[in-house]
Amino acid sequence: MVLLQTRNLGMEYDGKPVLRGIDLDLAEGELKVVMGPSGCGKSTLLRCLNRLVTPTSGQIIFRDEDVTRPDTDVRALRQRIGFVFQNFALYRHLSVLDNVTLGLRKLRGMPLGEAVERAKHELRRMDMVEHHHKYPAQLSGGQKQRVAIARALAMDPAVLFFDEPTSALDPLMSREIINVINQLRRDNVSMLCVTHDLFLARSVGGRVLFLDQGVIHAEGDAEQLFGNHSDPRIRAFFSQEAGNQ
Amino acid sequence: MNDWIAFFQQVMNFGPQIMAGLGNTLLLAAIITVTGLVGGIVVFYLSLSHNRLCRKLTEGYISFFIGTPLIALLFLMYYGLPQWGVRLSPLLVAVIGFTMNVAAYNARYLMTAYRGLDQDELEAARAQGFSSLQVFRLITLPQVLRLSIPALSNQVILNLKDSSVAFLIQYTEFFAQVQDFAVRNFQFFKAYLMAGLVYLALVSVIVIASRWLERRLILPGVRPL
Amino acid sequence: MSFIDILALLATGAGYTILVTLMCSATGMAVGLAIAMFHRLGSRQVSACLAVFTYVFRGIPVLVLLFIVFFGLPGMGIGVPPLVSMMLSLGLIAGAYLGEVFRGALDSVDGNEVLAAQAMGMSRMQVLLYIELPQMLRFSVPGMVNEFTTVLKYSPFAYTVGIPEVMKQAMALSAATLRGVEIYLAVGLVYFAIYKVLVTFVWALEKRYRVPGLTEH
Ligand SMILES: Nc1ncnc2c1ncn2[C@@H]1O[C@H](COP(=O)(O)OP(=O)(O)OP(=O)(O)O)[C@@H](O)[C@H]1O
Ligand SMILES: [Mg+2]
Repeated sequence: MVLLQTRNLGMEYDGKPVLRGIDLDLAEGELKVVMGPSGCGKSTLLRCLNRLVTPTSGQIIFRDEDVTRPDTDVRALRQRIGFVFQNFALYRHLSVLDNVTLGLRKLRGMPLGEAVERAKHELRRMDMVEHHHKYPAQLSGGQKQRVAIARALAMDPAVLFFDEPTSALDPLMSREIINVINQLRRDNVSMLCVTHDLFLARSVGGRVLFLDQGVIHAEGDAEQLFGNHSDPRIRAFFSQEAGNQ
Repeated sequence: MNDWIAFFQQVMNFGPQIMAGLGNTLLLAAIITVTGLVGGIVVFYLSLSHNRLCRKLTEGYISFFIGTPLIALLFLMYYGLPQWGVRLSPLLVAVIGFTMNVAAYNARYLMTAYRGLDQDELEAARAQGFSSLQVFRLITLPQVLRLSIPALSNQVILNLKDSSVAFLIQYTEFFAQVQDFAVRNFQFFKAYLMAGLVYLALVSVIVIASRWLERRLILPGVRPL
Repeated sequence: MSFIDILALLATGAGYTILVTLMCSATGMAVGLAIAMFHRLGSRQVSACLAVFTYVFRGIPVLVLLFIVFFGLPGMGIGVPPLVSMMLSLGLIAGAYLGEVFRGALDSVDGNEVLAAQAMGMSRMQVLLYIELPQMLRFSVPGMVNEFTTVLKYSPFAYTVGIPEVMKQAMALSAATLRGVEIYLAVGLVYFAIYKVLVTFVWALEKRYRVPGLTEH
């Protein structure tokens, strides 16, 4: 079943096109990876999909509902999409536990006890429950990112978005996050992951989309794209990224 | 409308006194700006002393003057000292009181700026053989003063505004004259409002002047506090 | 009469000094918070109005504003009680300064956290309430301590509108005894003691709510 679909999605910043004619679909329980050079519009794509920015053309269909219509309840939409950022974006003034319970209490109106139970469950899943009383500044990068994932999962989202979840992490911590994503895959969590990280894209499997200058140029599984692709731009990108690793 | 015209008529009749008061306000503000800056530099210099007692004393000085109201000091000198036969003029009392107070604040701004300074540079100067007074005068002070321009010019604004306090010790500055005018003409609201607007205009002049100074003096690549 | 007697007599006025300081500080906090919030949520026109308010109230001496309110307004048919006059002068001026402190602190809140909260589905108001405000208040502690101290130091102006605080007691006492030096020295000490208590209390409160790694002291 299709969870999320875009038709001819376009986005402009001050008249400058950043996304053009994006057709993308994500099935329930599927993982897709979006790769592409810096500034090609990857973050913008994710932000369009949860309506943090408003697309200038095209449609986004979320579970059979056109969420580009002006009467869409965007806050309700965002609550159904978990967002994980490159820089973790944990609330620095809240403990790990409070970071996870905040949304449950303030957005779902869940009583404290229940929210704590639910939060601890997700933290346990991310192997972070014993750190629940700590503050973000007291965690390593990988730990921060796992809390951020627990925070997103606690809201029981229909899909998880990752925006370069490993690019602020060293290789060892990246492995932690890759393992987490693989674990979530086995739990059939739907995910859309934007990344530069070839290793991440390879390790999690899933189909890879290649985005360049706001257009999707190719789609295939990782090995297909990383291998000697016919499109020279794609070849150049992947050989350069491989060199960076 | 008519009563405003009448009011301005009254102000014109009182003009000489009000202008004299304005002159006294500017005089006091100008004096304490200079003496407060010099005093602040001295206190700041003492705060860098190698002598622990000296540092403690300057810290105590700054803390005490930041923690007590200026008017206690002004009243002490103006209403208290005569009991010992010491009678100082209101201007002298104001200058002494304000200087001690403003120096404490300025010293604190300079100390904050000093903490943000590149200590290696000072080390290098010492290693070059400069005496500690030379290091202070040639390297530390110019940099610290530049970094503190926003805080110091803000203090000039405070000096101007706070000089109105001197009217409580019979110094015939601007606000004292306005007060006199208000009582004589029974024009309280309009008179005080006018006083407020005059202060606002003078503050604006200082703001513009300090922006200009900032632009002229700030070193490229060094952010003020 | 010993110095201790003088101190004890002055201390009877300390309650009013503290009352004036607290009421004016509270006014300042309310106004400062409102300024910062409207600046964040409001339109460009709102921000422009707030900038004018801030400029005006930072440019007028406390004493002058106090006289406008307490001695001036009755002539316009608006009588204002002494304590309220203090709040409308000293309190509003403190509010203008605190508004600047809070705005600066709001700018230190990490934009990524705000974005994350919005991505989670929070309204602008919720983001302000649960993310920006709690961090902003912690960042503002040094600025708030400064401003509360300033309010305390200007609180003696309350004697000019007849509030029987420390300065008023001191003036009465000095007129009766002609021992101004000791009395005003004692006044200085009383204020310094109140200042120390106030600062200690605020920093203790800060410590109680301190978050590791958020503010550096
Ligand atoms: N708020 C904005 N206003 C104007 N232009 C923007 C804005 N945000 C992004 N852009 C531009 O849109 C383009 C795409 O930005 P986006 O952040 O989506 O790229 P990205 O693929 O995520 O890049 P990176 O890999 O560096 O994160 C860039 O050229 C960027 O300069
Ligand atoms: Mg990006």
